[in-house]
Amino acid sequence: MNAGIRNEREHAPASFALAFLLLALPAAALASGQASPGGAGQQPAGANKIRTVVIDPGHGGMETGAKGPAGTLEKNDTLAIALKLKALIEKDMSFRVVLTRDKDIDVSVETRSATANNQKADVFISIHTNSSRQRIAQGSETYFLSTGATPDEETRRLAYLENNSSRIDDHVDKPSEDEIKLILWDMAQTAYIRQSSQLADMIQAELNSLLGTKDRGVKQAPFKVLTGVACPAVLVETAFISNPEEEKKLASDEFQTSVAEAVYRGLENYFRIYP
Amino acid sequence: MTNDGGKWRPVLILGGLSVVLAVLVYIFFMGGEKENIKRTAEVLVPKAQPPAAEPARRKTVSLFFLSEDDDLLHGEPREIAAGPSDAAEAERTMAELIKGSEKNLISALPSETRVRQVFVTKDGTAYVDFGREIMEKFSYGSSSELAAVYSVVDTLAFNFKSIKKVAILVEGAERETLGGHIDLTRPFLPDFSILAK
Repeated sequence: MNAGIRNEREHAPASFALAFLLLALPAAALASGQASPGGAGQQPAGANKIRTVVIDPGHGGMETGAKGPAGTLEKNDTLAIALKLKALIEKDMSFRVVLTRDKDIDVSVETRSATANNQKADVFISIHTNSSRQRIAQGSETYFLSTGATPDEETRRLAYLENNSSRIDDHVDKPSEDEIKLILWDMAQTAYIRQSSQLADMIQAELNSLLGTKDRGVKQAPFKVLTGVACPAVLVETAFISNPEEEKKLASDEFQTSVAEAVYRGLENYFRIYP
Repeated sequence: MTNDGGKWRPVLILGGLSVVLAVLVYIFFMGGEKENIKRTAEVLVPKAQPPAAEPARRKTVSLFFLSEDDDLLHGEPREIAAGPSDAAEAERTMAELIKGSEKNLISALPSETRVRQVFVTKDGTAYVDFGREIMEKFSYGSSSELAAVYSVVDTLAFNFKSIKKVAILVEGAERETLGGHIDLTRPFLPDFSILAK
């Protein structure tokens, strides 16, 4: 028993490395020769550049996500909201929109972040409905990533970033530097934390003004789907599917449209700062 | 000759018997060697007992649960058997955490969850291995998944000085998440800012 645990522990970094290798290689191939969009705020792109927004409807397929007391499934609400948001963006903005899923299918967490990277997303937005063991829990909140990394890991990463202040993708393009690529993709989101936090603020402000739900604010947590995303990325918890009243709202066309509208306005404001 | 033979016969018989006896004695001691060690151990235990009236030693730990009042984790004292190692105590603490609150607090973990093992490395990382019930019995949202993770992480780090970070395993293996949200592939540092008081 002990030995089993011990092995698991020692192998963990290796499986990490493998996972990121799988992520990094196709993305690196696609990104080759082209600077990543929105990267670290340097070299603002040309005015004619078409922006790409990747929208991620949480869960799907066998993985239903949270369940409401009346039986509503998170995966269905998130897809409905994402489709409305896509329609809204395509109608009013000249942005390209890519969904990580547009039907009720299983999509792995890696595939979701890889979609953002392979599509060279300028922004990644994951849509979720929340659930709590507390019956009274209600309201809307927007998350950006906290790595949950230990201080020494964080120090190592920051040291690496400081020593390599140029763009991440310039390094990723060099096929020989496997090790460096692994470190970089592991911390892909770390380079965009400030912009992600701004995007979260802007979306949360619009949720507050449009939804009439309780403001739970902007928060940080180590969300798996955000870690490997190499652009500003947030996760929106629209409302609590575990709360009977909010469960009803979430399933309604009106509320779903309001959520889509709020996220859309947040995006508009964000792209005013980062054109 | 017959006389001689008759004279030597008892000697031969005695000699034969003594050889048989020697063999029996040898077998007795060789075969009995393990038993002897056991006996020594049995003797040692009662000897060590006066200072080690320990089996009955108890200690109090704080278990962290949710409440309907706020979004914080609330501590509830619970007695567990003490010793012999932090890992053993941590395992008992996790079992108590899963049993749930004796007051009106809300457990962040499914009550069916098994604790398979707790292992603490020298660098202060506790590996807590749960049964698959922890993933299957709840359909997690972000809030409930965060609460599940941090009720485990904070309970262990709060009670055991030797535990600085906590990694969660399921059925002996590393998992990406419990329910699609929070990254389990790295150990967690405790977050005492979410504890009440």
